[in-house]
Amino acid sequence: MSANPVEDPFWRRLVLNRFVLVPALLAVAIALWNVYVAAHDHGIVAGRVVDGAGRPVPDAAVVLWVLNFTTYVEKTRATTDSAGRFVITNNDSHNIRLAAEKPGVGRSARVPVRLYFRAQDIELREPLILLSAS
Amino acid sequence: MHRYPRWPIHLALIGVSFLMLIPFYWVLKTSVTGENIFAYPPSILPKSPHPFYYVDVWYYIPFARYFLNSIIVSLLTVAANVVFNAMAGYALTRDFPAKSFVLLLFLSCMMVPFQATIIPAYLITGRLGLLDSYLGLALPQFSTIVCIFVFKASFDAVPRSLIDAARIDGLSEWRIIWQIMMPLAKGAIATNVILAFIWSWNNFLWPLIVTRSADMQTLPLGLARFLSYQEDTTGALYAFCIMVLAPGIVLFLLAQNEFIRGLASGATKG
Amino acid sequence: MAVAPAVTYRPQRLVRTRRAVLVWCFLAPSLIIFLLYRIIPLLWNVALSFADWAPLRPMRWAGFDQYEEMFYDEVFWQALWNTLLFIASAPLGIVIALGLALLVSSDIRGRNVYRTIIFISYPLMTVAVAIIWRWLFEERVGLINYVARSLHLVDQPIQFLNSFFWALPSVIAANIWQMLGFYMIILLTGLQNIPPNLYEAAAIDGADARRRFWRITVPLLKPSLFLCFVIGMLNSFTSFDLVYVMTGGGPGRATELLVTYIYKLGFSQTRFDYAAAVTIVFFVMLVTITWMANRLSGGNAGAVEKD
Repeated sequence: MSANPVEDPFWRRLVLNRFVLVPALLAVAIALWNVYVAAHDHGIVAGRVVDGAGRPVPDAAVVLWVLNFTTYVEKTRATTDSAGRFVITNNDSHNIRLAAEKPGVGRSARVPVRLYFRAQDIELREPLILLSAS
Repeated sequence: MHRYPRWPIHLALIGVSFLMLIPFYWVLKTSVTGENIFAYPPSILPKSPHPFYYVDVWYYIPFARYFLNSIIVSLLTVAANVVFNAMAGYALTRDFPAKSFVLLLFLSCMMVPFQATIIPAYLITGRLGLLDSYLGLALPQFSTIVCIFVFKASFDAVPRSLIDAARIDGLSEWRIIWQIMMPLAKGAIATNVILAFIWSWNNFLWPLIVTRSADMQTLPLGLARFLSYQEDTTGALYAFCIMVLAPGIVLFLLAQNEFIRGLASGATKG
Repeated sequence: MAVAPAVTYRPQRLVRTRRAVLVWCFLAPSLIIFLLYRIIPLLWNVALSFADWAPLRPMRWAGFDQYEEMFYDEVFWQALWNTLLFIASAPLGIVIALGLALLVSSDIRGRNVYRTIIFISYPLMTVAVAIIWRWLFEERVGLINYVARSLHLVDQPIQFLNSFFWALPSVIAANIWQMLGFYMIILLTGLQNIPPNLYEAAAIDGADARRRFWRITVPLLKPSLFLCFVIGMLNSFTSFDLVYVMTGGGPGRATELLVTYIYKLGFSQTRFDYAAAVTIVFFVMLVTITWMANRLSGGNAGAVEKD
């Protein structure tokens, strides 16, 4: 900002006016956020299933529940591949729960996963741990 | 004036500021952690904060729709307010027969609070067919006496010679207002905009009466409805509170001076 | 040689009429709005209060029936009493705000920050404020109960919003919290208008701080104090948002104000005529109390008498 405000050209005073600057910054932030969302909303939920000792478990059944008003309903199932990984591709909710189970090995707790927006692509950081019921 | 120690004043003011800000801090803390809704004793610092209650609120209630409704009604109110109040303020600077009667009328309208008129106002809006519409929501707020007097004071302060010179030059009344007086009344316009916007934004009783369908509700209504559906059993309610308060706080911090100046001058002239 | 006049001459009467028409045109929009939403509703309320009417039924003259029913209506008297208590709490807020204004107007750094912090509660949505305070007063997990129990003031948590005794004071406390900033701003403006040389002259004459306060500050603040009281009273009368969201009228009718009672009569029970009668009483009370306050503060809206 120049020392003499009267000599500032009109456009400069307009842009540095706080009533223009703050909404403009907000609009830019919202636009950037929307771009990010559009690039990452394919509904992909990926993760791993391990057993109590940390070994990957192939062919475990993974169930996805989505929030429906106040309860969770089952949406879809997937199976882990030989490396213990699973990929679900049709999640459209922002508040989901996952559980894995393999008869003979155990079942995992229902893990709640909360997303920043609907159908956010996410790779679970913690694997689902199968513990044997005893 | 002999010097007196400053630190007791600072201490007292800091204590008062603490009391004034604690509700905000508490709500903010709960909106990011969801604690203290069931658990006792409450924790002072947030443990494991997360922003997911805000996500819940965004998807659970049509926040964008309520926000849009509030914005449209408020913008409508502000636009009409500035135009109508400026016109009336200008008219009050001229001398005309029955001027004192009109002034008395305006002053007595100030004594009639909105709450004393809700039932007939509802009936009138119904007769006009404006129930459940943006215009119906905004119409009662299209003009306020306080702002008329603010404009009047601002116009009174314009030197007479300027207006006379413009008249001699042949400008019509309308052009006199827009080209000479309004640019000199920027403060009054800013005050009017801020006050009208905030009053319209926070208005709860009138939208409660006038809206019938769920998608015409404004933000305050949406918030009250959320409370009655969900009770206060979830952090999402407080996230909603913060989302509702944030625009008000941002607007206030931006336009502090205009707002305070407008209240002080409007109140003392009213 | 005749010079063409710069302004066309018109008969004086035509100019005056044109000017009057213009003025009325400019006044018209505001006047229509006030007519439609202040004056006609008030008169309609008066008419309704003397009638017996329901929507889709013809109106019948009913004399003072509505007022008679109001006289025997316990809820009405409770609401009236609660409203009066609410109004009586306004001076408390004003006194606190006066103290704050004196502190903030003294010569300290950062006074604008303090002013902003204290004022920020006023322009906020009352519904949100009500939700926050409703939760602060909560019996099990509210902050106020926690503080009271930590300081060993009470053993059991107090059911603030559910008790017949504590409900109204709780709502009043929330209201004062919100209005403090507003009162303080008005009083600050009034304080700034007091010429400092008055204080200096009094100090030279040997008046101590207390005498300076009572003899100079308070009398010169009378217009501002009167304004604060009127606005505080208006605010107490019309505190629908706060009461509706915080308690909905309170346990039983402990926090029912006239304004919430009018709303419930009109829009829950659809008794427009009875609600109109209560509204008229409400309005008359408002005008009366304002007039009384005007008289008590010396007339003329508390303006300082010039001698």
